[in-house]
Amino acid sequence: MGVALGLALVLASCGDGKSADSGSGGAKSEIIAIAADPLEYINPLNENGSPGIQVAMAMFAPLVTTDPNTGKLLNVMADSVTPDKTSQTWTIKLKPGNTFQNGQPLTAKDYVDSWNMTAEGSNAWKNNGFFSKIEGYDAMNPPTPDGATPKPTSVKALSGLKQVDDLTFTVKLKVPFSQFGLTLQYLGLAPLPEEVRKNPDAYKRKPIGNGPYKLAADWNAGDDIKLAKWDGYKGPNPPEADSITYRFIPNADTAYNEFLAGNVDFVDVPSTKVKSFKTDAPDQWVTSVSSGANYLVIPAWDARYKNPKLRHAFSMAIDRKAFADLVGLAEPAKGLVAPDMAGYRADACKYCDFDPTKAKQLLQEAGGFSGSVNINYNTTSATGQIFAEAIGNMLRQNLGLDVKYTGKQGSEITDLADNRKLDGLRFSGWGHDYPSIEDYLTPMFKSNGDANFSGYNNPALDAVLAKGDAEPDPEKAIAIYQQAEDIALEDMPLIPLYTKSNAYLHSNKIEPRVSKYTGVSALYATFK
Amino acid sequence: MIRFVLRRALAAIPIGVIVTLGVFALVFAMPGDPLRELAGDKPIPAAVMAAKRAQFHLDDPFIVQYLLSMKDILTGHFGTTFAGADIADQLRLRIPVTLKLTLLANAFQWTLGLFFGIYAGFKRNGWIDKSLLLATLVLLAVPGLVAYFAAQYLFGVELKWFPVSGVLEGFPRSYLLPALVIGVLGFAGLARLMRTSIVETVNADFVKTARAKGLGEQRVLWRHILPNALLPVVTFIGIDLAGMFGGAIITESIFNLPGLGQFMFQAIKFKEGGVVVLLSTLAFISFIVINLLVDLLYGVLDPRVRNV
Repeated sequence: MGVALGLALVLASCGDGKSADSGSGGAKSEIIAIAADPLEYINPLNENGSPGIQVAMAMFAPLVTTDPNTGKLLNVMADSVTPDKTSQTWTIKLKPGNTFQNGQPLTAKDYVDSWNMTAEGSNAWKNNGFFSKIEGYDAMNPPTPDGATPKPTSVKALSGLKQVDDLTFTVKLKVPFSQFGLTLQYLGLAPLPEEVRKNPDAYKRKPIGNGPYKLAADWNAGDDIKLAKWDGYKGPNPPEADSITYRFIPNADTAYNEFLAGNVDFVDVPSTKVKSFKTDAPDQWVTSVSSGANYLVIPAWDARYKNPKLRHAFSMAIDRKAFADLVGLAEPAKGLVAPDMAGYRADACKYCDFDPTKAKQLLQEAGGFSGSVNINYNTTSATGQIFAEAIGNMLRQNLGLDVKYTGKQGSEITDLADNRKLDGLRFSGWGHDYPSIEDYLTPMFKSNGDANFSGYNNPALDAVLAKGDAEPDPEKAIAIYQQAEDIALEDMPLIPLYTKSNAYLHSNKIEPRVSKYTGVSALYATFK
Repeated sequence: MIRFVLRRALAAIPIGVIVTLGVFALVFAMPGDPLRELAGDKPIPAAVMAAKRAQFHLDDPFIVQYLLSMKDILTGHFGTTFAGADIADQLRLRIPVTLKLTLLANAFQWTLGLFFGIYAGFKRNGWIDKSLLLATLVLLAVPGLVAYFAAQYLFGVELKWFPVSGVLEGFPRSYLLPALVIGVLGFAGLARLMRTSIVETVNADFVKTARAKGLGEQRVLWRHILPNALLPVVTFIGIDLAGMFGGAIITESIFNLPGLGQFMFQAIKFKEGGVVVLLSTLAFISFIVINLLVDLLYGVLDPRVRNV
């Protein structure tokens, strides 16, 4: 009876099967697998990471971008970005003749209004924080104690944003910031056209961009995102593909298998396949130079770890080469910034060589360590425990320390650390939003930095960063930021561990763009 | 009969309250901030956090959050997930996917289980019976996770008999491989139960009586042995069908089938109490309904427990 019931339902629902199709027409088409839950909307201003930004990158264009060949800034929608003498007020001129995909001309007003909308905290758009550097942010978002409901405010616009004419607007920052021009390449600042600004919810699934691709078909919940080239895009170096399909496959190992079966053209190599991808797909892989840097975090709130000599002892007791081999596709870190940054120095860290004798001596000079070192690891990561034990064993063998391990959910570890209650060490990593060593030093080491994992606070370092922010000459600014890196390495709130490459597989049809400066891009792949 | 159904439905209400409250409490007790999980590694400004917390009632005390969630469920105002998905839309898309997978998998499981079980029951100690015992031991020892990925690689990637994942090729092609693996992994237990039940029934006194009365073998088999032997199996099938939802979490993830299991997994990952409770309620209702059907079916098979 059960069988009959089952089969009847099976037959009844037979009609709704869709036949497979490999993306919409066009000679040059590619299917890009995204190992994440399907997107629910496309709005660059409300996305602060992959995959939302990755997809938005095809449909929206930034003001400026990094030239993949030279690493220099290249204008896209902007005609010029000019700071005043103090780098506090920036004038942005747009190129004439650009439009949105609905035909409306792209104007300075679109930027000013889109940015004001994002800066309004009650909209809860994720890139709100970007605008905290601009004058008037605090009036729009009055500081609220943790947990309290924010007070409503009638201020709907940033006082620092001013439209000058149709194609020009100025941005006045709270304090001078020489790197502001670089930050403008962040895609999360892309403009929305007026009809979308009026009712963003109605356009969640039909975004109107200003970038190289537009939606080729209706995009409903559960569908692949199908894009077709938009001929109104006039930016430099447009991508080659005529059509692109983004397919969401939440399980990364499944996405990898889909590639091996020949069903997608591009996929990220998941951490479980780092050791096998070169034999699984010979001649079909590429790797990026780096994807940020990874650290061991020392809690500033535990006095036992306070002495810099003890921190240096920990650092020199770690065999980074062996650890990087364990991680796979990784290189030992030699400083606090990623190696693909202008201003990276391969010899920045004086305490990052593996030297157990020196480490023991430093520990002794620091007066030893009382109690046991607790290493926290993320239980939702496949490798968390393995990495924690590797570091723990090195500290135990080389320094004779007593080590214990605590496994917790990642979000719980972050929560405890934010409340300065986490006991012991933990792992963390950081990747930049814009290519400047400043985007490593400010978030992690400035006393009020967004990602100050360790609770580190050194007024001397804050002062050096402020000096760098006020230095208009890029070369000189880098030299100043490097002084800040030196201070952070002496104090060592974070112990540099490794920098990791990402690996990707691509079909024989395409060759992804690989750049020393901008990483690996499937969007900008060339076709064979 | 109607009174019986009504009584069961009423009895389900307090159980439903306990289940939903318990599930909600479990999600609430999970460590970590739900919105932090959504933000990823990047920091989110206080103003945005506060607006999101207010939108999803995360500042309210536990019992208020629970009551608000239940109100949304009972009035059909499902709202959106933390990530911004319309929950009613999601249910519309996902329920058919899980139903198709579950029913196809069960069709395989029942066909294999009943066929081999009945056959082995009548031909005790034959080679089918012995292989069935061996297969049961082997299949029960294979972890689902390993079997799913192995089958996906072998039949999807290497042999290309089935799609690797996803529902692009529609029903039934996209569902065949996962349903077959579930069916093959799960049929052994059913077959063993069916076999034992047949063996017991065949030797029962009433069967001997029937034969002694001179009834034909066909009539003895269809009217006397099978209805009685099926009784314990029907209970097993009922519980098994309702339990498939739990298994769907893993299967749907590996075969990228956008069903309720995947939705549940996302909801637990983001600690979305409201969605977890909604899905638990759906599972609970289907469990109650299936059990009710099983009990009614019992009456059809066995006049002694017929409910008036």
